[in-house]
Amino acid sequence: MKTFSLMAVGIGLAGVGLATLAAPNGERWFEDITQKADLSAPHTNRSFKNPYAHIMAGYTALGASVAVGDYDGDGYEDLFVTDSKEDGKNRLYRNNGNLTFTDVAAQAGVADGNDAQNASADALWFDADNDGMLDLLVVRFGHNQLFRNIGKGRFKNVTASSGLTRYANAIAAVAFDHDKDGDTDLFIGSYFQPVNIFQPETPRFFPESFETANNGGGVTVFRNDGNFKFTDITQQTGIDLKGWTLDLGHADADNDGDEDLYVAADFGTDRFFVNDGKGVFTDHTETAIGIDTKKGMNVEWQDYDNDGLFDIYVTNITDDYMREGNFLWHNNGDLTFTDISRETGTHNTGWGWCGKFFDYDNDGWLDLYVMNGWVSGNEQSYVPDIFEMIVRPGIDFADARNWPPMGAKSLSGYQKKRLFHNERGQMFKDEAARHGLDSMRDGRGIGVADFDHDGRLDLFVTNANAAPFFYRNLLPLDHHWASFILEGKISNRLAVGTRLLITAGDRTYHRYVNGGNGFASQSSYRVHIGLATHPTIDRLEVIWPTGTRQTFENLTADRIYRLVEGSAHPVPFVVKEEKK
Amino acid sequence: MIRLLSLLLLVVAPAAFAATAEDHYQSARKALTARNYPVALDAFEAALNMEPDNIRYASEYRQAVIGAAQYDRCIAFFEKLVAVHPMASSAFLNFGFAYVDKIPAAGSITQVILANTALTYFSKSIEIKPSWIALYTRGNSYLYWPKIFGRASLGVSDLEKAYQMQKMDRVKRSYHVRVYISLGDGYWKTDDIDKARAIWQEGLAQFPDNEQLKARLAREGDALAEYIDSVLDPNKRVDTNLQEIWTNL
Repeated sequence: MKTFSLMAVGIGLAGVGLATLAAPNGERWFEDITQKADLSAPHTNRSFKNPYAHIMAGYTALGASVAVGDYDGDGYEDLFVTDSKEDGKNRLYRNNGNLTFTDVAAQAGVADGNDAQNASADALWFDADNDGMLDLLVVRFGHNQLFRNIGKGRFKNVTASSGLTRYANAIAAVAFDHDKDGDTDLFIGSYFQPVNIFQPETPRFFPESFETANNGGGVTVFRNDGNFKFTDITQQTGIDLKGWTLDLGHADADNDGDEDLYVAADFGTDRFFVNDGKGVFTDHTETAIGIDTKKGMNVEWQDYDNDGLFDIYVTNITDDYMREGNFLWHNNGDLTFTDISRETGTHNTGWGWCGKFFDYDNDGWLDLYVMNGWVSGNEQSYVPDIFEMIVRPGIDFADARNWPPMGAKSLSGYQKKRLFHNERGQMFKDEAARHGLDSMRDGRGIGVADFDHDGRLDLFVTNANAAPFFYRNLLPLDHHWASFILEGKISNRLAVGTRLLITAGDRTYHRYVNGGNGFASQSSYRVHIGLATHPTIDRLEVIWPTGTRQTFENLTADRIYRLVEGSAHPVPFVVKEEKK
Repeated sequence: MIRLLSLLLLVVAPAAFAATAEDHYQSARKALTARNYPVALDAFEAALNMEPDNIRYASEYRQAVIGAAQYDRCIAFFEKLVAVHPMASSAFLNFGFAYVDKIPAAGSITQVILANTALTYFSKSIEIKPSWIALYTRGNSYLYWPKIFGRASLGVSDLEKAYQMQKMDRVKRSYHVRVYISLGDGYWKTDDIDKARAIWQEGLAQFPDNEQLKARLAREGDALAEYIDSVLDPNKRVDTNLQEIWTNL
């Protein structure tokens, strides 16, 4: 049998679930299967070879990223994982369908992401040409790489002719259709200004301020012109930023049918932009969130309280010496937000990195997993060194030579990751230790997907200068779920920006397809919904980016559905090839 | 004769009707009641220019500054004031407080710079006159620094001196309870929990209604740590109103 149906997946899973209930893990619902899955290749930070190398080493523990996507269209979610050392190979892990993976990056032509002049920092799957095959953007300090998916598991490097050749110290990218012309455009965030940090001609390329730095790389917007051609239209979009961007995230903040944008900046103010529906953005920062001076690291949008509006989770730095606290921006519905991180218990996650909402127990409430930790070195702390510099009168922070070398010292290292269980949209309770997700490695990105089609969301976690983690979700199967693969016909093919209103019982859930939100990571394009005890979705309303609405009723739970724009019925999901 | 009298009046009148520091202070209070911050701040500054070491004027001036969020103006004013009056210990103390008052309105890194600068002026105040209030203030300020900076022991040292001073005082003053609280916090921060509890107990014997001492003594372990961390959170505004000092002199 070459193919097997969704029903077969469901039946197969029942067996898995029964086995899980009897498993010795007891109340622990995640199992670290990194080794078994053959995903344990470590990330290595970039070492620099320039006069400032010993200083830069303390500030470039970045580049451990993951992007989830089914690049070969076999129905199973694959992984692209970046390394950063000079001769480090990026990895394309093909999902074998049995919770093991095979690195096929070299054969696919996407392994070479690092060299003396480039360091991989992030990656993004997107469908540049709407052909239904995922293309790949490798985001780099240096020059980005654009790989065209040419089928049969192979990619062609089309960067040179793409218009994406400009030097940038890029660290984040999202792809969404900002101008609603039916394809996804690229929004790229850069950390350092566009100076060659491998061989800087000036020492003045560090942040000029710890709180209001405006000498970073900002954000660049590339319009997708089709045929793998992109044009820099940053000026036309109204986005004019020079901050130290660490992450970007998009969502329709006001449910008006277009995608708005949040930009998280290190050393300065996060920004919130509202889309006018034609791809021009207005900066609403002051009225929406106010001016902050924190160290924004992550942008994640989801409707954590199921009130029909997308909220935002941003990590900052919270430690003994710097008590910034994270932001959980509750969407007030009028393009303003209120930070309720303290009230919900999500305020302090240490030196935060990626934070992702996902419903690990399928109860219908989005839980939150948060990475943290900067550099876990020796027992000596770098904090006094850095503060000695900070309090020096008249110090020029922009000059890298003024920054003390970190050496082997620690800075906010050995921090325990946090898994917050959503207590019905009111509070979050840390369950990381219970589920074995409280690693102390220097976590960076999180890729969330149901890698084995068992209806339970698994996690791939990247760590700087260390091996990643692959956690299999072993939740007892007493909650229902559904998953949707969306396909745009008039809208962009991956349906980025499509909103789903899913009603089961007396609750309606609001979810959407995002184009790569979250620091150093991209989760599945599929929309997963936990349905708690409801075996049926009473009503599903799909709002495509074109504005077209489709409604479906009485969908059986515990299924993966394919929804095609304009098609009258959900199409049962079918994997191309049985891989067991 | 009339002409001579007129001349005399012209000479005497300005002196007779020149505003005193107290006049300016009262004008400031009046303006403050009317929430007229610009006038109030001007008047407070006029009063302080005449009496730079007046702790009451300075304290109320700073509270008005907090209300008006005019932190930089306040810092600039005290900078000039201490330059003109380099031996005014109270002015230096309040100069330090002006930096402390700005901390909650600042970003986390600026907070460190402000706190560090405040310590410089508290030290100058102590150098001029090692008063109870200056020692208590600097000692307490050290406790806000994270453990990694190792400043808690300096705080304990200052607070122990303030403690000795108040023991010599024949009058039990309400503000003395602050040293019992902070010295205990200092001992706690330097991992001497027994001494911390002992000093809090001693304080409670002296001030049996004090809720802060009761709260500390009622907690142990993580709960106590959480409580003290919350008290010493730099994002929370520290009460730098010195009214208790002059009303209990």
